[in-house]
Amino acid sequence: MLAFIIRRVAQMVPTLFGVMLLLFVLFNWVGGDPSYILAGKNLSPEALANIRHQLGLDLSLPQQFVIFVKQVLTLDFGTSWSTQQPVTSILHSRIGPSLLLTGSILLLGTVLAVVIAALVAYLRGSLTDRLVTLISTCAMSVSGLVYIIAGQYWLAHKAGLFPIMGWSDRIAENLLYYLPLPLLLGVVVGLAPDIRFYRSCFVEEMNHDYVRTARAKGLSEPVIMLKHVLRNAMIPVVTSLMMSLPYLMMGAMLLETFFSIPGMGKEVVMAVDRSDFPVIKAITIYIALATMLFNLLADIVYKLIDPRVELS
Amino acid sequence: MKTDTGLESDIVTPQPPPPLLSVRNLRVSFHDEHGHCVPALKGISFDIPAGRTVALVGESGSGKSVTAMAITRLLPAHGCQIDAGSEILFAGRNLLTASRRELRQLRGADIAMVFQDPMTSLNPVYTVGEQIIETLMLHTRVGRKAAYQRAVALLKEVGLPTPDLKMSSYPHQLSGGQQQRVMIAMAIACEPKLLIADEPTTALDVTIQQQILQLLASLQKKHGMAVLFISHDLELVGQFADEVVVMHHGTIREHAPVRQIFEAPQDVYTKALLCCRPHLSRRPARLPVIKDFLGEASYCEPPQRQRGYLPDDEVILEVQNLSVEYHSRHGWFGKKHCCQAVQDVSFKLMRGRTLGIVGESGSGKTTLGMTLMRLQAASAGRVLFAGHDMLAMSPRQLGDYKRRIQIVFQNPYASLNPRFSVAQILTEPMLLHGIGRDRAERLQLAGNWLERVGLSHQALGKYPHEFSGGQRQRIAIARCLTMHPDILICDESVSALDVSVQAQVLNLLQELQDELGLSYLFISHDLAVVKHLSDQVLVMQHGRCVEQGDADTLYAKPQHPYTRQLLEAIPQSWPHNFKPQVA
Amino acid sequence: MPSSNPLPLTVAPPSHNSLARQGWRRLRRDRIGFGSLCIVALYLLLAMAAWSGLLARHWQDEVAKPFAPPTLFANLGPQHVELNAADIDAANQRRRAAAGSDSSAATGLDASEDPLAADMAAAQQQAAQYHSEEAPKADTLPLGADQRGRDIRQKVLQGTATSLLVGLSGALLALTIGTVLGALSGYFGGLLDDLLMWGYSVFTSVPDMLLLLAFAAVSGRGIGTVVVVMALTSWTGSYRLMRAEFLKHKSREYVRAADAIGASHGRRMFHHILPNVSHLLLVQFSMLTVALIKYEAILSFLGFGVGITQVSLGAMLAEAPAELLQGYWWQMLTVTVVMSVLVTAFSLLTDSLRDALDPKVK
Repeated sequence: MLAFIIRRVAQMVPTLFGVMLLLFVLFNWVGGDPSYILAGKNLSPEALANIRHQLGLDLSLPQQFVIFVKQVLTLDFGTSWSTQQPVTSILHSRIGPSLLLTGSILLLGTVLAVVIAALVAYLRGSLTDRLVTLISTCAMSVSGLVYIIAGQYWLAHKAGLFPIMGWSDRIAENLLYYLPLPLLLGVVVGLAPDIRFYRSCFVEEMNHDYVRTARAKGLSEPVIMLKHVLRNAMIPVVTSLMMSLPYLMMGAMLLETFFSIPGMGKEVVMAVDRSDFPVIKAITIYIALATMLFNLLADIVYKLIDPRVELS
Repeated sequence: MKTDTGLESDIVTPQPPPPLLSVRNLRVSFHDEHGHCVPALKGISFDIPAGRTVALVGESGSGKSVTAMAITRLLPAHGCQIDAGSEILFAGRNLLTASRRELRQLRGADIAMVFQDPMTSLNPVYTVGEQIIETLMLHTRVGRKAAYQRAVALLKEVGLPTPDLKMSSYPHQLSGGQQQRVMIAMAIACEPKLLIADEPTTALDVTIQQQILQLLASLQKKHGMAVLFISHDLELVGQFADEVVVMHHGTIREHAPVRQIFEAPQDVYTKALLCCRPHLSRRPARLPVIKDFLGEASYCEPPQRQRGYLPDDEVILEVQNLSVEYHSRHGWFGKKHCCQAVQDVSFKLMRGRTLGIVGESGSGKTTLGMTLMRLQAASAGRVLFAGHDMLAMSPRQLGDYKRRIQIVFQNPYASLNPRFSVAQILTEPMLLHGIGRDRAERLQLAGNWLERVGLSHQALGKYPHEFSGGQRQRIAIARCLTMHPDILICDESVSALDVSVQAQVLNLLQELQDELGLSYLFISHDLAVVKHLSDQVLVMQHGRCVEQGDADTLYAKPQHPYTRQLLEAIPQSWPHNFKPQVA
Repeated sequence: MPSSNPLPLTVAPPSHNSLARQGWRRLRRDRIGFGSLCIVALYLLLAMAAWSGLLARHWQDEVAKPFAPPTLFANLGPQHVELNAADIDAANQRRRAAAGSDSSAATGLDASEDPLAADMAAAQQQAAQYHSEEAPKADTLPLGADQRGRDIRQKVLQGTATSLLVGLSGALLALTIGTVLGALSGYFGGLLDDLLMWGYSVFTSVPDMLLLLAFAAVSGRGIGTVVVVMALTSWTGSYRLMRAEFLKHKSREYVRAADAIGASHGRRMFHHILPNVSHLLLVQFSMLTVALIKYEAILSFLGFGVGITQVSLGAMLAEAPAELLQGYWWQMLTVTVVMSVLVTAFSLLTDSLRDALDPKVK
């Protein structure tokens, strides 16, 4: 197992290098000269030259890349171009709200989706199944934007059940007051595609031969479903769950923007709006690292729950 | 009935005990996607007496598996219809009208099933022991500990070594034969009255097949249970069945005690099944096919054919010390795996003759065929085709030689491109090798070859999925012939075909060899077929050639222990088998 | 050689039973699938009409009063009187008329106190020389009007056309990139595969939206940019699929047979294997289009998508929160219904395509 982990960590290095290369090409080459953005109203040649020197843009491209690599390795991305705060401290304060929001959406959403999907798969072919599938397809087609806009308007503005937007420093207040509406909307948006996916995992398992053997042994349908099929179907379900963990850090971008939740997602949107390159670069690197680590974790969990996979 | 004193008594003759299972007028039909009703069973009736083995034999599409699934009511709920007039009586109860609860109680406890593919029939995420214990705890009132002990005893009974260790193994950690033993253990766990075995040995190697059959036979005697054994291989069931039911297209052609079936079959289809298979003891110039038996005149066997290399034969292919290695690597930084598929194999193939290559799975025979076609890279050795070393040639030099050695693959369903029409399939090789002046001429030639292999030239416009397995194999042969090859490699080309179709294709191959002077490399695991077609035979085991020689001599006096083992594993049930008249 | 008397010249009779034909017949029989296909086709026709300028050419014209309600539901709009620019203009007009040419009186100031009196008098004299035709602004429109008085019907037609254009061309581009790279990767393996897999892992280690935004940050707005950006971030799904398929098919017997008869690599890849995976490509294309239409909506909503002078479904949705707050619901409803019907039809079509084209070769 240890050898496997070491090998996978070694594989991460070229990938991280690739991400850095991609970001560098995007922001230092395609992105062009940002000195005009930072200069603001003062466009004198000396000011521009000064800014370029500060950012290291007067160096050659390869030299700039080396500086970037150093930044990534020390996790020090300089200061934000719009707020002049150190990027790292900005990000560290944003991770918390994002985790709270997406973590709770993931938890609640997955539990609901798995339960409904298992029920629907058990009843497959029946009217209930077809109805739920149809409703899910229609529900999926409505853009998430519409759910959020409508939800915010009717439930918060008109009905006054929830606050329209906001966030606080205290976890308790967040959990009870500010979180429920974005949580509800996030779960609703993600429910339909999840139900469809999990249902297909279950149905696929139910078509395997070992289900026929279980019936031939005289087991009843509920027992077959709960004991045999579920255990096998959990493998793709858990794997897919682990693969969506990296998105925890990203935060639900739209939800954060609408509800003014100070998370990573909102930070990215604001940074793109203001062309704040250091923040965008830093967030991307962080998320890429998290994705790679979570993928490794997903593989380990997968090997633990599926006995067919050999640890090689 | 005479008593021991020899006096006739006026005691009423006791009736024979009622049969354990009685199938009456079973009619099953399926609905295809167009909504048409396709009948699978057309009203069959037979009995299974208690404690006896009944074999259900038929080719694919005969309805034998459907019968087994109908008995245990495991047919799919949708798209399947059982006629109301059908009855399946088990110990007096009609299974077709039994409630779900009753069925669940019967399944596993009174009627148990063993399926064909043990790898997929066992749940991969539970240990073997867990699955056996589940059956025990469901139907018998034992606690967990007692169930565990009983499971270990069962594994021992079915012949698994180290049963305690095996209890905590997962299915994928066992071999195919061991998995099937586990399935059998699960089936007999609750001492069923009837065991239904649906092609239990078809997916296994020849030597393992024998072991499983003997296990089933001994278990049947020991527990006194009735066995319904389903198979496509009549010779195989002859070894341990008491009665045989021969099925064809959903009807029963013949149902008789096993001796009668083999020595004096009444139905023409049974006769055909018995004779179509190549036998080790005789080699007619042409194998009989079902059509021969359906005609008015009774079939007369043509004279025997002599085989063997003659001294003045010309060598067309010579292989010297051929070795093939596989390398695989896991990911970017993984370990390398090295596997020796073929080691140091040498042989000669004469023009117009057949060399048979025999071995079980993993022997390297298929890799050998692939390497000769240059579809797989060799790691050492020489292959001399008409004097030139094919392995040393560059792809450009290889051009013409590639055309002259062709291959017919095993799986008729996979070797033809499903998106191409037959015309495209046959004209493509001609296009690539510059045969035929234009499209019209190529189509003409393609039509001629189709007629030559026994299909109508109307087939040109059709697609592969519209043909049966045997017909597809003919199209594959025609595709090879369009290039006028010298050598044809048949890689298990008839193994996936039914017995009667197999005979047709073997006859076709023989005719083509006689007429066109083709040389064959015939690769197969089926020793009887190899003996029928080959002049010389090469036996492979674990990549090495263990024995090589003249076909008749090798089969009569095998030298190597592995060859002897293979020959002993061939089903040889009845010495006085029905034989057709000799012309 | 085959028999000496050749048969009459054979021409391959046309077959109506290829797998593609069978798939089409299955789709026709599936009522939901065929219905979805018709709806999608209808949308495409309307979109093409809008692209070519046959319809909705003048969507930018402000033909109605701002926030004119839909004709049938005029009573469901905000009931209280809202002062909008037109009303203020009208009131000013009346005051000016009453005050005569004395512009200062209109403002309520004395002529001597009004610093702009002289300028205004001069401007009024100049303006009197010109006469502008202004069509009277409509009070209600069938689907209502937006903040600037533009007809929602025309806007939504043009917007759907833009979204469809972006979705279809983005999907096509992403699919092409992914297929070519995946085919090369799966078929040839080795170093090329390693290199392309490295690229794949780089692109997939960043979540979709983030990558999209990163690209959007350095590119401008506009339809062309959006298409390119979305293609560059969505090729990974097709790559992975095609790589797996080509890898699987490469060792299938019909490809080995093609090798045996002498077909080159290129012929094997595109003549033999590609037709066997084309049904997957069709399904993938459908799925990608849906995904990209949704992504485009989000991008345009956030302000990074299509340009200011262009309209798309997302851009229309961007105006929705502010409108809703004031009680104007018609633009959002129209966009939601139009977009949902399109995406539902596409999704159902994708499902039906998958069922119809699955070649269960016996």
